[in-house]
Amino acid sequence: MLWYKGWLETRLKLAVVLGVVSCFIIFLHSLPSGSGRVSVVALTGVPRISVVWICAFLAGAGIATQPGLQATKGLHGSMLFTLALPVSRFRLLAIRAAIGWLESTVAISIFCYGIWLRFPAFREAVTGVDMIEFSGILIASASALYFASVLLATFLDDQWRIWATMLVPFIFWQLTSRIPLPAFADILRATGNGSPLITHTMPWSTVAFSLALVAALFLAAYKIAESREY
Amino acid sequence: MTQMNSELIIETSQLAKTYKDKQALAGLDLRVPAGSIFGFLGRNGAGKTTTIKTLMGLLRSDSGSAAVFGIPVADADRSIEIRRRIGFVTEDKELYPYMTVEQIIAFTRPFFPKWRTDFERRYLDLFDLPPKRKVPDLSKGMRSKLMLLLAICRGADLLILDEPTDGLDPAAVEDVLRELVAIAASTETTMFFSSHQLSEVDRIADHIGIIDRGRMIVSGSLDDLKASHQRLQIILADSNPPAIRWPAGVDSIHQEGRVVSLLASHNLDAITAEAHSIPGATVECFPVTLKEIFLETIRSN
Repeated sequence: MLWYKGWLETRLKLAVVLGVVSCFIIFLHSLPSGSGRVSVVALTGVPRISVVWICAFLAGAGIATQPGLQATKGLHGSMLFTLALPVSRFRLLAIRAAIGWLESTVAISIFCYGIWLRFPAFREAVTGVDMIEFSGILIASASALYFASVLLATFLDDQWRIWATMLVPFIFWQLTSRIPLPAFADILRATGNGSPLITHTMPWSTVAFSLALVAALFLAAYKIAESREY
Repeated sequence: MTQMNSELIIETSQLAKTYKDKQALAGLDLRVPAGSIFGFLGRNGAGKTTTIKTLMGLLRSDSGSAAVFGIPVADADRSIEIRRRIGFVTEDKELYPYMTVEQIIAFTRPFFPKWRTDFERRYLDLFDLPPKRKVPDLSKGMRSKLMLLLAICRGADLLILDEPTDGLDPAAVEDVLRELVAIAASTETTMFFSSHQLSEVDRIADHIGIIDRGRMIVSGSLDDLKASHQRLQIILADSNPPAIRWPAGVDSIHQEGRVVSLLASHNLDAITAEAHSIPGATVECFPVTLKEIFLETIRSN
C-alpha cells in the first residue's frame, strides 16, 4: 500500500514531467532546420548534457518532492500518521525513493525514444542498440543525481531542495572542468563525448560508479532518516 | 533496561528528554495498567505529546526507559511490533490530503492483520463519514472522526489518543465517549488518552496521571484519588480566620467572609476533627471533581 500512496502523491508531477518532455520534443521538431539540426547537435554531446540536467532536475526536484521521510513542514502532520504505521523507516524511504526513481526512468526513456523515433536523421546516425545503451548511462547518471535529491530531502524543505538539487550537477560540472577525474568517475562525460552514441561502447565502469554513488547516497539518506526525530 | 511488569501495558522509568534548552520530560514515571482507560492530563507544554511521541518511537529519550507491551520502545526493530498493536490518534489530526475517506481506509487496512471490518462499517455509518470525500474537504470534526475510525478499526490492544474529541460538536463528543467506553468494555482494549476536557476524562477514565514540567505528580485509580480527596466547607461564627494549625494533608485553604473552603488530599479524619474543634463552626464534607484535583495539584506543584 505504500506504493499506492506514493503513486497517488506523485502521479500529477509525473504527468507534468511527461508533458514537459513531450513539449521539448515537439519544440525540437519544430525548429526551422528540422531533424537535421537535432542530429548534428545531438552528436556534439552538448545537448546530451542538457538532457541529463533537464531529466535530473525534473526527476529529482519535480517528481520526488515528497519522499517518505522528507523534512517538509507542511506535511509534518500526515507524516506522523505514516510513521505511526507498523513499517520500518528503511522500508518507507526505500519505497518512496524507488517510486520517484521509476518515474524518472520512465521520463528519461520516453525522452530518448521520443527523439529517436521522431527524427529520421537521428536514427540514421544512431542505432537502436546505441540508443538503449545511451538511455542506460543516462538513467545511471540521473540516478546518482536523483538520490542526491533523496539525501537532500531528509534534511531540507522542498523549496530549498529544488535549488540544492539544481546546484549538484553545476558543482559537479565545475569540479570536472577544474580537477581531472578518472574516466569512470566522469559522469557528465559518459553522457556526452564519452557516450555510446559517439564511442559505440557502453561505459560500464561509469555505470558501476554511478550505482555505487546511488548506494552511498541512499545509505546516507537512510542513516539521517533513521536518526531523525519527529 | 529494567524488567517491565507484564500487568502494565505502558511503563516508563525516569524518562528524560530535552529539546535544546527546554526540558520536556524530567524523569517521568508512568504506569498504565492493562485494560484501563487512562486519562493523561497536564497543562500545555507539560510533556504529554513528548511522552506519546516517545512511546510511538517518533522521539528518542535522553535517558530512562520506556516499554509498551513489555517491549522497549528504543528498539527500532521491535517498535514495529508495538505500532502494529496500537491505534493512534495524533494531536493535529492531519491525514493525506490527496486521499478520499475510502482511499485512506483502504490504505491503512492491510497494515493491521486484526482490522475490524465490522467496526469500519459501523463507524462509517455512525460518524456519517462520506467515503468519496477528500480529506481536505472534511471539517475538523470529521477529520477527528476519521482518525478515530482508523485507530479503532485496527483491532489494537492499546489506543493512544491525543485530544481525541478535539473539534467535535457536543453530540459527537457524546457518541465518541460512549463508543470508546463500549470498545474498552467489549474488547479489553487499554486506552491512554490525553485531553484538556477534564469533564470527559472524569466521565470515562478509571485511572489518571497528571504530568507537570515533565514529571508525573499524581497517578492512580480515579476512584482512589477521589476517595482520598475531599473538600471541607467550614462556616465560621465570625469572619476572623480560625487560629488553627492544620495537620498535613491540606492542599489549599480559601476564605471568603465566614466561609472557609479547604481541599484535603489525605489525613482526612484528622483534618475533619480539627475543623470540628473550631468553636461555633459548622463543617460539611463534599466529594471533589477531577477538575478540582487537577487544578489544585498543578497549583501546589
